[in-house]
Amino acid sequence: MFSLSSEAKVGLFVLAGLIILGYMSFQVGKQTLGLKRGYTLDVVFENAAGLDKDASVQIAGVEVGRVESISLKEGKALVRLRITPGVKLEHDAIAAVKTHGILGEKYVELHPGTRGAAFLGPGEQISRTERQTDIDRMLNQLSLIAEDVRGVTSSLNRVLAGKDGEEAISSILTNTRDLTRNLNNVIVSNEAALRAALENTRELTGNLNRVVTQNDEKVGQVMDSLKAASSAMEKTFATLNEITGGVNRGEGTLGKLVKDSATADKLNKTLASLQEVTEKINEGRGSIGKLINDDETVRNLNEGLTGLNRYVNKAEQFRTFLSYRGEYLFDKSDAKSFLELRIQPKEDKFYILGVVSDPRGRWTTKDITTGGVTTRTEEWDRDGLLFNAQIAKRYRDVVLRGGLLESTGGVGVDYLALNDKLKLSFEAFGFGNDRRAHLKAGAEYQIFKHIYLSAGWDDFVSDQDNRSIYGGFSIRFEDDDLKYLLTTTPIPR
Amino acid sequence: MNRVSGALDRLGRAVLENVEEMGKILLLFISVLAWMFRPPLKLRNIFKQMEFVGVKSIFVVVLTGTFTGMVMALQGYHGFRMFSAESLVGGTVALGMTRELGPVLTSLMVTARAGSAMAAELGTMRVTEQIDALYVMAANPVKHLIVPRVIAGVLMAPMLTVVSDFVGILGGYFVGVHILGINSGIFIKNITRLVELNDIYNGLVKAACFGLILSLIGCYKGFNTRGGAEGVGRATTEAVVLASITILISDYFLTAIMF
Repeated sequence: MFSLSSEAKVGLFVLAGLIILGYMSFQVGKQTLGLKRGYTLDVVFENAAGLDKDASVQIAGVEVGRVESISLKEGKALVRLRITPGVKLEHDAIAAVKTHGILGEKYVELHPGTRGAAFLGPGEQISRTERQTDIDRMLNQLSLIAEDVRGVTSSLNRVLAGKDGEEAISSILTNTRDLTRNLNNVIVSNEAALRAALENTRELTGNLNRVVTQNDEKVGQVMDSLKAASSAMEKTFATLNEITGGVNRGEGTLGKLVKDSATADKLNKTLASLQEVTEKINEGRGSIGKLINDDETVRNLNEGLTGLNRYVNKAEQFRTFLSYRGEYLFDKSDAKSFLELRIQPKEDKFYILGVVSDPRGRWTTKDITTGGVTTRTEEWDRDGLLFNAQIAKRYRDVVLRGGLLESTGGVGVDYLALNDKLKLSFEAFGFGNDRRAHLKAGAEYQIFKHIYLSAGWDDFVSDQDNRSIYGGFSIRFEDDDLKYLLTTTPIPR
Repeated sequence: MNRVSGALDRLGRAVLENVEEMGKILLLFISVLAWMFRPPLKLRNIFKQMEFVGVKSIFVVVLTGTFTGMVMALQGYHGFRMFSAESLVGGTVALGMTRELGPVLTSLMVTARAGSAMAAELGTMRVTEQIDALYVMAANPVKHLIVPRVIAGVLMAPMLTVVSDFVGILGGYFVGVHILGINSGIFIKNITRLVELNDIYNGLVKAACFGLILSLIGCYKGFNTRGGAEGVGRATTEAVVLASITILISDYFLTAIMF
């Protein structure tokens, strides 16, 4: 059986212990051992608070050494750094005390400086230091900022809190919503137009481009001629200069005029008399003066202006309608046409002027005198036009009108219903003693904005077999041009 | 009056006994130093004691060291988690083990195992008059019995401490990385960042001091045993108690001096 002596056991144990000790020492002392061979650099900080001996020295986050000692030198902190041998620092290197995070430990951060500069040797001093970001100072700044923010939020609160603010915001939002919706509508509805506009613009620029490229030569010529013109202009100016120089020296007519003292005297006198005239006018002497200085003139002028104003207002109130009406007379298989102008100076009063073409024509009476004998012939003149001229007055839904109807005296009544869309009318005219009166009853209904359908019974008590059912349509629209044409010709007084 | 003077008498006697004991231990230490370098060295004896004190204590020391490191990792983790600094657990375990727990716990275990054995062995030799026999044979008992034990204590305690440190950190690593889920690279990086060579070496110096204390007290108690088998038992107990107390008190002063 293999057994170890006590010496062997102890030896084995000690060997194992020493190996473990060596391993741990190596692991822990790896960096420190390497560092001992490094070189030292001095750096003077304004404030090295929080920096400890053996604190890390880093370049770009890589540890390159440790703080060896910290001492006081002329009221500042002299920090001696031990840097690992391979690391070189240029003369303009910068040192700063920094912190890992907010609560982390302090370390010295080095910026190596410009490449190619001379290196710092052992024991030399890094002259440039950066002011550290002090937590206290930062907190101070932060509290100031917080104060500002609180001011802003409190004023916002004052503005927005309460019913008014809420309402204001909600109305703003509503408006915005409407606005965007409208915008959207506009864009959507005008998409084609916009696209067309863009298309046009593109075409235009394309054309312009083509024009320019095609006329490149011509443009060049224009430029050349411009240049020539400018040089010519230069000459002109030179000449002008000469002329003015001459004038100045009193040469030529103009020069004499300017330089001659007699001329100046005359000018002076003229101005003086002009002044006299204006003074007279001002004092109310002479006809012009009276005109200007008389109060009555002013009043008249005022009245005139007022009248003009009234007239213009009237013209604004004025409405004119133009209408065409066609009626087909079923019993006679023929059509009757009306062309009417309705002038409406007030809402409840209007005049109707019109011409009517009746298939029967116009009842004319002719006196033909042949050899002292006068024979009266009465007949229908098929080419004759009949005229309408009526005055109408409206009382609520009823319109009463009277005057000339189809060139004979007559009256009419209209009843308007359904928001003036339906018109029931009755007309009576042609009260000749040898014929029965012409009576007409009908209805008219507005189907579109300017289109009306009509139907009725024309001349239903005729004794000449003239009665007929009719149906037709009419077109009626308001005509502004006609209105201005009418109002500018005569001036109502 | 009699009772008061009796109480005072007992108090004074106790103080005097303690001071006398301290003086005797110091004198024993001086004589150990004197005999230590006097040939023959009796290496065989020394190795035997080293085997007993060191090699045979490995198991106990590994066990206590491992579990101490593990429990430190566990407790440290809960503390550091409050600051989101879990990665510092490794460094804390390593620092605690190398500076304090390694030397102290190892020394206490060795006291319990070997210090008590020394006191019992020497006490038995004293009550069975074997020590007197050595005097008769003109062999100095300090040279033959105490010097090897003290040398073994001083040399073996640091060795055991090294083992304890190592297995303690391993235990902490196991708990921290494999159970608590701390990143292993950061765990080890923090150990090497926080622990320095001095931490380890000062821990070993402490351990050597403790080794000296425990072996010296164990030998002294055994060497001065009186009163038969009962006295041997009492000497053993006293040795362990006194050595443990002295180790813990001196640990404070050693730490204050060294760190």
